[in-house]
Amino acid sequence: MSYEAVGTTRQAAGAKAQSKERKPFLLRLGRIKPYLYLLPALASIGFWVYKPLIQTFQLSVYQWNLLPTSPKQYVGMKNFTNLTGLPEMGIALWNTLIYTLGVIPFSLIIPLIIAIATDNISRKASNLYRALIFLPMIMAPVAVSSVWRWIMHPTNGILNKALTDWFHLSEPIRFFTDERWAIWSITFITGWKLIGFSTLIFSAAMTGLNKEYIEAAKIDRANRFQIIWHVILPLLSPTILFMAMMSTLFASEWSFSYINVLTQGGPFNTTTNIYYLLWTYGFQSFNIGSSSAAAVVFFLGFGALAWLFLKLTKKLSFFDN
Amino acid sequence: MEKAGRSFGSFTAVTVKHCALIALVLLAVFPLYWMVVTSLKPESEVFTSSLIPLHITLDNYVQAWNAIPMGRMLTNSFVVAVIQTVMQLLTSILAAYAFTRWEFRGSNLIYGLIALTWLVPFQVIMIPNYVAISGFGWRDQLAGLIIPNIASAFAVLQLYNAFKSYPKPLIEAARLDGASDWGVLWRTIMPNLKAPIASIGILLFITSWNDYFWPLLVTTKLDNSTVQKGLQMFISSDGNMWGALMAATTIASLPVLIIYLLLQRQIIDSFVKGGLK
Repeated sequence: MSYEAVGTTRQAAGAKAQSKERKPFLLRLGRIKPYLYLLPALASIGFWVYKPLIQTFQLSVYQWNLLPTSPKQYVGMKNFTNLTGLPEMGIALWNTLIYTLGVIPFSLIIPLIIAIATDNISRKASNLYRALIFLPMIMAPVAVSSVWRWIMHPTNGILNKALTDWFHLSEPIRFFTDERWAIWSITFITGWKLIGFSTLIFSAAMTGLNKEYIEAAKIDRANRFQIIWHVILPLLSPTILFMAMMSTLFASEWSFSYINVLTQGGPFNTTTNIYYLLWTYGFQSFNIGSSSAAAVVFFLGFGALAWLFLKLTKKLSFFDN
Repeated sequence: MEKAGRSFGSFTAVTVKHCALIALVLLAVFPLYWMVVTSLKPESEVFTSSLIPLHITLDNYVQAWNAIPMGRMLTNSFVVAVIQTVMQLLTSILAAYAFTRWEFRGSNLIYGLIALTWLVPFQVIMIPNYVAISGFGWRDQLAGLIIPNIASAFAVLQLYNAFKSYPKPLIEAARLDGASDWGVLWRTIMPNLKAPIASIGILLFITSWNDYFWPLLVTTKLDNSTVQKGLQMFISSDGNMWGALMAATTIASLPVLIIYLLLQRQIIDSFVKGGLK
């Protein structure tokens, strides 16, 4: 996702290329030309994103079991009123909150600290660090799950072996099957994939800062902490807000793969979240109505959240412009 | 900043910086290192904590290759990722060109609709799309994996940014030389934007190669699926074949790792510019 995408502000491209001495037919052809160029992308996005989105809204007022031969039964708003009573809904919402908050140290706090602390490091060294820190980001979620499953294996995993050696645990930690640990293990893996990427985003923002403000603050004898708090953080606020929004909106979506591969929502539903719930309603209990109704509610909820973030971004990002 | 007169204080500051970064590097790299190391260990060694393989063997790779239809799935992954990348580039080049070249009614609305797709999570639209694919009879077919993904909103937005930076006067000059709009795109603009298009293409290829949910949904037989789904099946089949599992994971990650090794600078730059999805 790009910054531009989030702002959805497109500077009107000032291409006034049409010459005026064309003939009417060519003029008309010229007028539909941009639409012809847009057609392939637009048709595909329309058919595979917006059409199904509308269909999800439609399906939310029906009862259906996904079988093409079985009829869809109109039930009105019943799917919505039943949502709160659905099994696992409460815990899924709660877990979603835990994932969202749990990822923040990895997506915001630690990367921000590292980016600020390691600014002005030599170029050569920083390139090597960048290349290595970024590695988790390009790995496939399934591969990441596979590797961590091995590392965090209760009896044979190297993590448990190390922990037993260092802290003399009485019994190994069952990272994915102990209900006290499972959600934190998934959160950690989600964060692990993200931390390097976030660090690079913040480092890039640090490099792009107008250093005159910092110099000016130094002349005014501000100490290091004051500079960070009163100068650097406000200047970074657009980036911080952007990452906060990404992290809030997508933490649950990112953890989805690890849940599906590593815990399937268990043990005792302690790792399920709202997106995983949509998946199980849809493709395990074939309750299409509930899945669609929940999808509609979450979609609108996250949409509202995104809208709030964008308003906040517009309000706060007046710095240095 | 503190070039002149490096005191003991600034020396420790630099050391602390490097330590923090090295810790982060270890966190990022160790799991991948451990994956490769485990995959090279013989069965007797897999369960030891030795940080280097003492007797390197490729047995695990042979075992992994035979446990799941690896060759077939790698081919599928490759075909899907290449076609998808090329199609996404084509559709988004045309779209980005339309946005930069002309002012037309509804352009802001259309751009907004494309940009806003990032708000639509896969899980919200998966059921209707699954129904559509089943209706077309494309389950267990490569078409079912590829066709829903022939356009990428991300690619349109990224390419639009690249196109926007192309100087307008050069387009005007080409027009005066009698080039058609089509000709301007392919003969004037494209040759000059090879680098950004290539790096967006690499990103699209990696995304497609790593994709897992769509193959999980529309394919049932491993023979018709991609390597990510095969890997997931291997993981859940359990057993204690950790060496073989790590070998399979390494194989599945290798193409992306090789691309990264060759082009990490461009990949990082376009990720940082382009974001997350």
